[in-house]
Amino acid sequence: MESYLSMKNISKTFGVTGLKANDNVTLDVRRGEIHALVGENGAGKTTLMNILYGIMQPDSGTISLNGKELKILNPIAANKAGIGMVHQHSRLVNEFTVAQNVVLGAEPKKAAIFFDNRKAEAEVAAVIEKNRFHISPEMKISEISVGQMQQVEIIKMLYRKAELLILDEPTSILTEQEIQRLFDTLRELIKRGKTVILITHKLSEVKDISDRITVMRKGRIVSVKDTADVDEREISKMMVGKSVIFDFAKGEEGCRETVLSLEKVSIRKKRQGHPILDNISFNASSCEIVGITGVAGNGLTELEDVIAGLQKISSGSIYHNDEDITNISPKALRERGLAYVPTDRLKRGSSLDTSVKENLILTSHHDFMKRCGVFDDNKISEHSRRLISEYKIDGHSDVPIGTLSGGNIQKVILARELDNVKDFVLFSEPTWGLDVASSEFIYEKMLEMRARGVAVVLISSNIDEILTLADTIFVMYRGRLVAGRASGPDLTREVIGEYMLGLKDDFRGEE
Amino acid sequence: MKVNRSDMFVTAIALLITLSAAFMVMLVMIFIMSETPGETLFYFFAGPLTNKYYLGNMFNSAIPLILTGLGIAFAFRSSMFNLGGEGQVYAGGFAATAVCLAMPAAGAFFGITVSLLAAVVTGAVIAGLSGFFKMKWRTDELISSFLISNALIYIVDNFITGPFDDPGNNLLTTSKVAEQFWFNKIFPPSNLDISIVFVVIIAILAFFYLFKTHQGYEMRMCGVNPEFARYGGINVGKYIMLPMLWSGALHGLAGAVYVLGTSHACFKGFSGGMGWNGIAVALIARNNPIAVIPAALFFAYIEAGAESAMINADITIEIASIVQSVVFFLITAQAIYNFLKYRRKAV
Amino acid sequence: MSSEGFSIPIIHNSISIMTPFLLAAIGGLMTELSGMLNIALEGLILIGAFFSVIFAAATGSLLLGILLGILMTILVSWVFGAITIYLKANVFITGLATNLLASGLTAVLSFHIFGTKGVLMFEELPPLPSLNVPPLHKIPVLGDIFFGHNVFVYMSWIIVVIAWFAIYRTPFGFRLRGTGSNPKAMIAIGLNPQNYQMLGILISGFTCGLAGAVLTLNLGAYVPHISSGRGWIALVVIYLGGKTPFGILGAAFVFGLAESFSNYAQGFIDIPADFILAFPYIITAAAMVIMSIVQNRNED
Repeated sequence: MESYLSMKNISKTFGVTGLKANDNVTLDVRRGEIHALVGENGAGKTTLMNILYGIMQPDSGTISLNGKELKILNPIAANKAGIGMVHQHSRLVNEFTVAQNVVLGAEPKKAAIFFDNRKAEAEVAAVIEKNRFHISPEMKISEISVGQMQQVEIIKMLYRKAELLILDEPTSILTEQEIQRLFDTLRELIKRGKTVILITHKLSEVKDISDRITVMRKGRIVSVKDTADVDEREISKMMVGKSVIFDFAKGEEGCRETVLSLEKVSIRKKRQGHPILDNISFNASSCEIVGITGVAGNGLTELEDVIAGLQKISSGSIYHNDEDITNISPKALRERGLAYVPTDRLKRGSSLDTSVKENLILTSHHDFMKRCGVFDDNKISEHSRRLISEYKIDGHSDVPIGTLSGGNIQKVILARELDNVKDFVLFSEPTWGLDVASSEFIYEKMLEMRARGVAVVLISSNIDEILTLADTIFVMYRGRLVAGRASGPDLTREVIGEYMLGLKDDFRGEE
Repeated sequence: MKVNRSDMFVTAIALLITLSAAFMVMLVMIFIMSETPGETLFYFFAGPLTNKYYLGNMFNSAIPLILTGLGIAFAFRSSMFNLGGEGQVYAGGFAATAVCLAMPAAGAFFGITVSLLAAVVTGAVIAGLSGFFKMKWRTDELISSFLISNALIYIVDNFITGPFDDPGNNLLTTSKVAEQFWFNKIFPPSNLDISIVFVVIIAILAFFYLFKTHQGYEMRMCGVNPEFARYGGINVGKYIMLPMLWSGALHGLAGAVYVLGTSHACFKGFSGGMGWNGIAVALIARNNPIAVIPAALFFAYIEAGAESAMINADITIEIASIVQSVVFFLITAQAIYNFLKYRRKAV
Repeated sequence: MSSEGFSIPIIHNSISIMTPFLLAAIGGLMTELSGMLNIALEGLILIGAFFSVIFAAATGSLLLGILLGILMTILVSWVFGAITIYLKANVFITGLATNLLASGLTAVLSFHIFGTKGVLMFEELPPLPSLNVPPLHKIPVLGDIFFGHNVFVYMSWIIVVIAWFAIYRTPFGFRLRGTGSNPKAMIAIGLNPQNYQMLGILISGFTCGLAGAVLTLNLGAYVPHISSGRGWIALVVIYLGGKTPFGILGAAFVFGLAESFSNYAQGFIDIPADFILAFPYIITAAAMVIMSIVQNRNED
């Protein structure tokens, strides 16, 4: 079949890190299909689509649509060519109504100068009806759900007469029903002759909705298949590559003593109907790695912030060595010996314009004072030299940490946090976007902590990571824990996947 | 290491571009405004250096600028804006004067210490108020510090021209403080006094405080990345308040040093420009306390040049403000830095 | 004298006094809605005040003076905007730069052209026309309050109405607010947020130019630093007015009333003149703090 969209030999390298986000990528999409673009985090999917939508320019390569070569310099050019993109995070103006957001930039007018709100609502209502959306054009964005916001984004593109729709991870923040509704919409659009590119890393969805699949790994295309010809296992293998099998022994059970415990922790926000965290209870003990997993948007981030003391809880209690530490300040928590490797390495975990040396002393700078109250520079340099060699950090201690590669930034954070760990450490998405060597290094450090008797909590949306490392596994779904079991041969990838999607729930009905 | 040096290089070149643009604007202005541009230019550039009197006075007018520059650098280092410098200098100078006038017979050391202390506390309280509102209720410190300081300027005006007015003359000024409180002149016949030594020491101490103490470290981390600081267990609220206190204290001190060293009385409007110039000084020095010293000298030079050109030629001193505004306009222009960095890579 | 007898002139005066605040705040609102804090209002008012009066004197025409004065103010605001937006400079620092430029430029030009940095009197200038509608003027109370002001007062009210329509009823207004609220939303549909930020600044140049013209042409003279903090107070008026044109009208009136009352009080209570000058800053600062306390309460 003739290809509708063809992106040929696209390459894109990012300045500072030198990361090859797209390496000679060639993508073909046929008219009227739902084409899934899959791959792990950091595989280069979003970069490729940003190039197609004119948000980024490729270093090399060509794009043609309907056999005509195109230069897409910006999103307006993309819109004109009939390409529309729905971003992962909604790009809407909260104060405006649905109709106002949809027509923004292409507003209907009356008397030549005035915004014609009535006409806008009528036109948007027509698009909504034609494509069978369930939303009212007069509603304000601040009053609608995340799933509806996504519908608005799609309507926005349809209003602009998009023929090819790109959806970037559209399901990651949606509930199951919303996902089904979205898929119905997509099928409806295909019937009307539109073409859809769906970026995702969720395999069940790919199987469910797509016609063809392109798999990306580390900036390259590794496979293009008809969906009907492959099963999820095969796709998964292609996504991860020859997966390095980490086979680590589990922790001893003999020395376990509760270090941290959460009891019925909940967070409620005024405007949200359901709680963001809902009655979370678990213990983390010495000599144990507790793994907590779930799909993004189900409360992992909030749980991370709660354990780190950066987010207050509405109800429940948290104990550290049987002492109540509910809602104490981050400072007090640090004084109790919290070590924490955060998800957001660049904004929270490090201060990019500050030197490696100064990043390394964030939590321990009080220990480097001379008696006269002034920093002991020799001691600080020695400290940073020791950590740089101990953690094999490739970088000088006096350069801004922002000039280091992602893996090395993470090692600096690791070095700072683990160097004076006491009895508890929290890791959140520690290997997200890192290469295998760095990941392996981090895993070893984590196991070393456990061997030293430290209680380790690992929050990760990477199931394999959880399966290989955790002694006890919890799964979160819509702010609740739906599973909490010791890891074992019965707890497979598939079983965890079922919990993650809310298909299984061990605690339903329990209060 | 390499990266660091090229960053410094870029910074230096960008600063050079900014300063050249400022001088270009001044040249153009002088050529338009002056009947005798050659002469005016001579007085502008060479005037401050032609004799001991001008040279000494130039250094002398750098003294308060070093202090206000340091005050602003402290605030900027913590991502706080203190736009109330003018009022804090003024109120500080007035407090110092009032203390000295209240105890004309006190010993020099005691009197000077108490009067400096009064100025420091006055400045700190005024700026601290904005810091407190910000910490407590997130009131924008940029606007509040300006408003509070402006209100104070009028109130101090009232004291100077009212209850504290010197009946002995028709000038809008307080009486002179007792002579034992005056700072020693070190470069006669100019006004340059001994406080320049102390001010330089304060700049060095400020450098140590910011870069070598744990408070300085925590303050800087809160300034560059508050989320990082909070994550690391630093009390971020404290570092909204503390830098404003420091900033106000240094401004207050600037006022006192000017009164005790130069004017010996608090005259109406003496602080005019000291606060704003402090901001420019801090920006040029990129908030480095040591670099504040040459930056303050540079500004003192421009002012002295404009003054010399005003006295000897036919332009007015406000030409200096225009030059300063060009510096203000361009000093934070990120595009200049990006352009230079990009060019360096391309070469 | 009856209580009505002295309250009516106070209200009447407050309407005149509020006009420059109101105009500057409406322009500042446009910048604010595009997502930037415009602390250059003060300097822009000064530029408008200076140039409108000297151009009016030079051309002998009030209208030409006003137009050229506004043009100069827009030009300066363009410099402020271009450096901030295109050279990506810190908007607070460039705002200060604009204020510094205004005070320097007006002094230098005043000295260069008139040989003085003091007050410039233009006695030959005609007074600003005022609006008197004979039958309506006779209406008790309301007639006394609302009529007999100069034309700028009424123009400022019209500008409030136009601003309301522009903000809430035109595509421009939607894009301006969209820019301030979520610039990424603008980029995603291919609109350049920078253009709207620039327009927000240029409009503030226009209204501040007019505000300045009101100050000097009303007086028939230019007094150095005649803006005397009005730009800063206007900034707070924007917040107190809830960032809406009619809210700003209300807030500006309150400030006008406060100042008018303190002018009146000066007549029979012995308050030092400097305290009267400090008064607007004090109530503005107090209003700002109170507002942030209230906002903080609401958010918790």
